[in-house]
Amino acid sequence: MPYSCDNKKSDNIRFYFGEFDPSRESAVELGGVRQSQPFKSFISPARETVMGGNEPGPKPAQRHSLRSGTGRVIVAGVKACDLSSLILQDYVYLKGDVKDPFYAFRRDNTLIISCDCTYAKETCFCVAMGGRPYPTKDFDLNLSPQDGFFVVEVGSDKGREIVDSYKTFFKNCKNRDFSGRDSMRENVGLQIQDFIKKRGTPDTAAINGNVKKSYDNLPLWQDAASTCVECGACNLVCPTCHCFLLFDESARQKIGRGKVWDACLYKTFAKVAGNHNPRKYLYERMRNRFDKKFAFFPEVLGYFACTGCGRCIEACPGNIDIREVLKGVVTGKWKKPPHD
Amino acid sequence: MINCKNPYSYIEAEILNITTETSNIKTFTLKPRETIPFLAGQFMDVSVPGVGEAPFTPSSNHKIADKLDFTIMNVGRVTGLLHEMEKGKTVGLRGPYGTAYPIAEWKNKEIFIVGGGVGLAPLRALLYALFNNIDDYKKIILRYGARTYKDIVYINEIETWKKRAANVDIGVTVDVGDELWKGNVGLVTTVLKDSGVDINNAVSIVCGPPIMMKFVTFKLLDMGFKDNQIYLSMEKNMSCGIGKCGHCRIGPYYACKDGPVFTYDKLKNLPNIWD
Repeated sequence: MPYSCDNKKSDNIRFYFGEFDPSRESAVELGGVRQSQPFKSFISPARETVMGGNEPGPKPAQRHSLRSGTGRVIVAGVKACDLSSLILQDYVYLKGDVKDPFYAFRRDNTLIISCDCTYAKETCFCVAMGGRPYPTKDFDLNLSPQDGFFVVEVGSDKGREIVDSYKTFFKNCKNRDFSGRDSMRENVGLQIQDFIKKRGTPDTAAINGNVKKSYDNLPLWQDAASTCVECGACNLVCPTCHCFLLFDESARQKIGRGKVWDACLYKTFAKVAGNHNPRKYLYERMRNRFDKKFAFFPEVLGYFACTGCGRCIEACPGNIDIREVLKGVVTGKWKKPPHD
Repeated sequence: MINCKNPYSYIEAEILNITTETSNIKTFTLKPRETIPFLAGQFMDVSVPGVGEAPFTPSSNHKIADKLDFTIMNVGRVTGLLHEMEKGKTVGLRGPYGTAYPIAEWKNKEIFIVGGGVGLAPLRALLYALFNNIDDYKKIILRYGARTYKDIVYINEIETWKKRAANVDIGVTVDVGDELWKGNVGLVTTVLKDSGVDINNAVSIVCGPPIMMKFVTFKLLDMGFKDNQIYLSMEKNMSCGIGKCGHCRIGPYYACKDGPVFTYDKLKNLPNIWD
């Protein structure tokens, strides 16, 4: 359930997912903008045991909790920029010769109640990435907040089941309910378009093919990486980043294997035996991040691996702004924005 | 076979035998609790239980699926621990992963194998796979380079390969000669041209350190080999083995599932492949 830290609608407001606590019901905010954590953490958690502990599948004896990941979970308030990352996460974890059974289990057992964005942050640029500030697919139920009620859209059989089981909570929409929803959607969309225009953020059509072309534009990558401290925050908060590290551990004769999120900005990410590192320089790792998102995924899947959620902009302690780097990629020129 | 129920878990395997090849290379003969069928060129993850795992290509004949050899150089954390292990101890195995050498496509051809250092390990599996149907191939040529005489792996076995059949031609060279070595001195790239290979009816398979693969590839191209006649075993940081963890990406490929064996035409337009 998403909570807000503040009640004022400003760019400083942060939303975060938390386990539903009836005593804090008033702090729940289903609308607003995307949460600080990416939704991916519910289906591909930051850290999980893949051997010698929880194997995929329900464990009846265990409490159905978010943390153990062994039961059914309902996540409410999910925003469109998180939902549009699912096509990429599903491609990685469910396609190919072998599925990730841990991901598959969580995906099947997570009910998604999404919600329109009721306003936008300056860092939002979903529209440039081909998205919209309201969900169009990959949800079970979608809520569009209106004055004192929600316009509910059913997106799956599971969602239909809920509506059918709790008929008293729902009634048929009138035409003016839809027009109220549509005008809010349009307004938030225009707000984002305005942000995009002011900054000159390029869209997918402008970016297409240009990251590959910018590969040898070393000043661009070196300068973009010059304030990077290799914290990996951009990777970890990114809804499309999927890379992970397998690690082994043992304690008191018990052996376990874990899986944690990894970050391609980390120096050891691509390192092989004998200290050989194909991406030993930071700028190479920075470039690799853009290459993966704007060249690899379009090539193998036909989608850019960026949903325009803007989390990486907010998370970066080095003030690196993906929009500015993309501008550099498109124009071939690069002017580093002033540091705060 | 990959465990689809849990692709991240391993099968336990007993260390049956350890052969010391050089001062920092050992061959471990492993007996997994379940047989693990594989093909030459594919790799597996070998685990030191509770400590870590690393990818290696089996170096033994794939026809013997209940006993697998892994020839491992001591270069890091996992390999260092493996080198400290003794006969009878248990390790973990998962895989096989990735592409195999397409030996069925190579019938009636000359097979020109170029190896460097411990890179001879997967090529040993390839040689045995070719030896299984040795008459299918017109010629099997191996050119192997090691740093010095003391760094040559499978040194006694190489002598038996030389006598295997009339169509087998084995040549070994060392980068730096010494009083122990009576053979050719020079980088492996210097002994390719005079190998007598019929380039129009040949494939070349290369495995070794990145710098050696780079210059051997350029030499082969220079000799007239076409991009798609050159098979390279790419070393990347393969971890999950199933194209999910993201570590071993090369351009549009993952080395763990689209490789590790690639023909050069697939790689040549990608940036920094030799890094």
